[in-house]
Amino acid sequence: MITDKELNFVRKALDMAVRAGAQHARATLSLSEEDLVATLDGEVDRVTHCADRSLSLALFVDGRYGSYSTNKLDAASLEGFIARAVAATRMVAPDPLRVLPDPARCCQDALTGNELGLVDPAREKVTPADRQNTALSASVLASLHGSQPRQTSGCAGPLPLLAQTGPSLLQSRGRLWSGEAAADSATPTEAKYEIISEEGEYSDSVYDTVVMDTNGVCCRHSETSFDYGVEITIESDGEKYSGYWWDASSRLAELDAPACGRQALARAVGQIGSEPAPSGRYTAVIDAEMASKLVSPILRALSGYAIQQNNSFLMDSLGRQLFPEGLSIMDLPRIPGQTCSKYFDSEGVATVEAPIVEAGVVKQYFINSYMAGKLQMAPTVEDATRPKVLPWPVAGLDRDAILRRCGSGILVTDFNGGNSNPVTGDFSYGIEGYWFEDGKIVRPVSGMLMTGNFLTLWSRLLAAGDDARPCQTKLIPTLAFAEVDFSG
Amino acid sequence: MNQCDRFGVSEEQLRALVAEGLRAGGDWCDLYFEDTSYHDLLLRDGVVGSGGYHVDYGCGIRVLKGEKTGYAYAETTDFPSLRNAAIAAGSIAATAGEAETAVGSENRSRPRLRKREGPVCASKGRGPAQQDVFRPKLPWSGAAVDTYYQELKAWEDAETAGFIPFLKRIEAGIRARDSRVLKVVAILSYSVSDILMFNSLGELTTDHRPLGSISVQVIFQQGKRTENNTVSRSLRMGAEFISDAVLEDLVARAVEGMDARFEARRPKGGQMPVVMGAGASGILLHEAMGHAFEADFNRKGQSIFSDRMGQRICRPGINILDDATVPASRGACNYDDEGVPGQKTYMVTDGVLTSYLHDRISAGFYGVAPTGNGRRESFRYNPIPRMRATYMESGPDGTKEDLIASVKRGIYVDQFANGQVKIGEGDFTFFVKSGFLIEGGRLTMPVKDINIIGNGPQALADIQAVAGDLRIDEGTWTCGKEQSVAVSCGIPSVLIGNLTVGGE
Repeated sequence: MITDKELNFVRKALDMAVRAGAQHARATLSLSEEDLVATLDGEVDRVTHCADRSLSLALFVDGRYGSYSTNKLDAASLEGFIARAVAATRMVAPDPLRVLPDPARCCQDALTGNELGLVDPAREKVTPADRQNTALSASVLASLHGSQPRQTSGCAGPLPLLAQTGPSLLQSRGRLWSGEAAADSATPTEAKYEIISEEGEYSDSVYDTVVMDTNGVCCRHSETSFDYGVEITIESDGEKYSGYWWDASSRLAELDAPACGRQALARAVGQIGSEPAPSGRYTAVIDAEMASKLVSPILRALSGYAIQQNNSFLMDSLGRQLFPEGLSIMDLPRIPGQTCSKYFDSEGVATVEAPIVEAGVVKQYFINSYMAGKLQMAPTVEDATRPKVLPWPVAGLDRDAILRRCGSGILVTDFNGGNSNPVTGDFSYGIEGYWFEDGKIVRPVSGMLMTGNFLTLWSRLLAAGDDARPCQTKLIPTLAFAEVDFSG
Repeated sequence: MNQCDRFGVSEEQLRALVAEGLRAGGDWCDLYFEDTSYHDLLLRDGVVGSGGYHVDYGCGIRVLKGEKTGYAYAETTDFPSLRNAAIAAGSIAATAGEAETAVGSENRSRPRLRKREGPVCASKGRGPAQQDVFRPKLPWSGAAVDTYYQELKAWEDAETAGFIPFLKRIEAGIRARDSRVLKVVAILSYSVSDILMFNSLGELTTDHRPLGSISVQVIFQQGKRTENNTVSRSLRMGAEFISDAVLEDLVARAVEGMDARFEARRPKGGQMPVVMGAGASGILLHEAMGHAFEADFNRKGQSIFSDRMGQRICRPGINILDDATVPASRGACNYDDEGVPGQKTYMVTDGVLTSYLHDRISAGFYGVAPTGNGRRESFRYNPIPRMRATYMESGPDGTKEDLIASVKRGIYVDQFANGQVKIGEGDFTFFVKSGFLIEGGRLTMPVKDINIIGNGPQALADIQAVAGDLRIDEGTWTCGKEQSVAVSCGIPSVLIGNLTVGGE
């Protein structure tokens, strides 16, 4: 996507910065293009075409630092922009710790941008008609009504069954397996509902970025992405319930859009009749779809910025066992073909496969060149690229297996708001999901809160599954914790 | 500078682009040109050691066919690029097929130019019902002009170097007031957006939108314990924002309540009455009802309030508004991003649901005038119904202290971080940074870092008392419904009979 002419343009931008007075500079050119088809109730509702470009500059001028970006990329505008940026940089205080990364640490093997095989040439052949067909064929309502516009009031009953048997059963009272697993597990329950709305969104995009600096670093990353997400709202006994599901892949052939509608509907139907369980301390099983909510705060707390500012509940944690032996998190940034794999960070520093937490011991802070000077520590990378929580205590567990191991408790399938305190690690989140007993889903719960402290929570880790969704940036599987406080 | 000159387009070209967008049969076309510069300065570890600015420039073109949307944008404003965007956006007409047409053919081919540059004043209140928004008889035509945000000292002309000592004074002020201060990070950011809008009615609208913000994060250490506090202030105004008054306010609030924060504990969780303090508690209105009143959710039948128009949803005397006319507020809009003048919209009047928040699409669907809520993050996004400054008018039930005194056991909350809502179910949450237990009508144990969950219609119906102390919060509130948009919120102190409080 980025042409040789544009690569030369980036080099010229660096030259302009030096001529304007910068001693060093880093330039990042990003180009992206996205086409999107949104559907509403089985019909095309919105079509958009986006093409973005942006040049970001990090300038090091007389020991001072500034960061700038623009999408006005004509030569005349850029020259004025850079001159102004250099002048603005001279106004801030000197900071000798602001430096470009050591070239020896920088990525040398990302030359074409497609070394990881994340560009699917199929995108170039996707036509507007293909996009609409993909979006419409993924629609639950469109599949029920064919080419006829739908009437929402006419759609009742359990779609997973209807989808197999055809629209002739539309008016029948439905029997649906409760919970997300729909027909493959759990106990059947009566469920009568109407589909109120279905909003789907298909998009395909290509992203291309190149990082160059005045030390000669040049690295490039290209990636296509094919995405589909759908939210279905249903009504049952005067109450509304919604379910969302999505899929994404760097390869068109790997996108399973039709499954998203079925899963979204199952999630909505599964919540029919939900209410809070009594407040108490229960085993919590966190569905893989949502489990990154409990891992992201750990990664943020290990950021050099957080550590340097004492804004972390993991201060002085490097090399210490703060988590149970069951928790291991690896950063796996260089696996070919995996969405979000990347050879370099935003400074151009090469990513490496490395443990973040190993058997409960903190192994890595995320320290960029600036924070390395601030903290007087060796630099690493700016952030985790593709962190993965490893299975524990055995490999191969999925959600159902973990439910069986745990016996009873609350299965969390969605979070509703909440936050955490970065300094203390205290958290409180709204949740919905299911009460389970003897390893089986019994009834839906909602309107509850899950409250605790991350260090305490993780010290009670019961299991980490082997079922992370590959479409997610963070490979976090189903997790189970003992003795979690729920309020209802 | 003339705004057409700024974007390098002529009025003839604007008309030609609209015609191109409508060529395939669209009903409506609008153009949204944006030139935004965003600046920031960062103080960390006692020095203002980094800064930057960012330029975002381009034009979004939208074509409607019935309620269906085609959207494309260009990051340059040369005519060929814009023409391609117009063609791409216009393709929706072919997709939508036989969708209902709402605008006359004469408007499609030759839009008339009606210039409405500079400051404006909206008609206050809601427009007449049954108005076809795609037709030119708009309720604000010929209205007097005013502005809801001024730039007395232009940011562009201000000396950036002068802002550096200001940030240092903030840090010095905070450190002088509390010896426990360990770290201070202060960020000054300001942006100026010049907007030009043109539509198939021939209306040309311009706006100049300044916004200044300061956020301060402070880390405190007491013995081996560490706590943090974050405060912010954001106003639509020029560089006069950099003032002693803003500095004093930030410094005072940055250290306020820290003794209690170090003592705070998690309460026992469960259902209990909640007194919400005036100001930032307006997050309740934003999450519990504001989103559910956005007309796109109702048009699609998704909102829990979609069939409740005209019904009583809370006790008499309660009025809830979404208001673009609060001077200098983050939520203030001279015009929304569809060129509809900013206005004050009563969503709940005397306890009855009286209006949703409309963009042009939903207004056309419901046959009402748009309420000026069609907003977008930037030219990269199509406008959708969004809130502005959402608040409840003061009530008759005395003071905050009166409300607290009426509660035997409950919780008082006054500082918040964020919130969220599930539109269909109406379940909302908001995260409380600090508050107190109420025991026997008195504030007792400080609490912090708890989430509160409730259901929108139930919480509205359960508002038992409204004090007379309305305050609109001026923090850096940003709403993230599909796109990030600056908003504000406010509320007088209110007592809600029953919400679920997270705890141990």
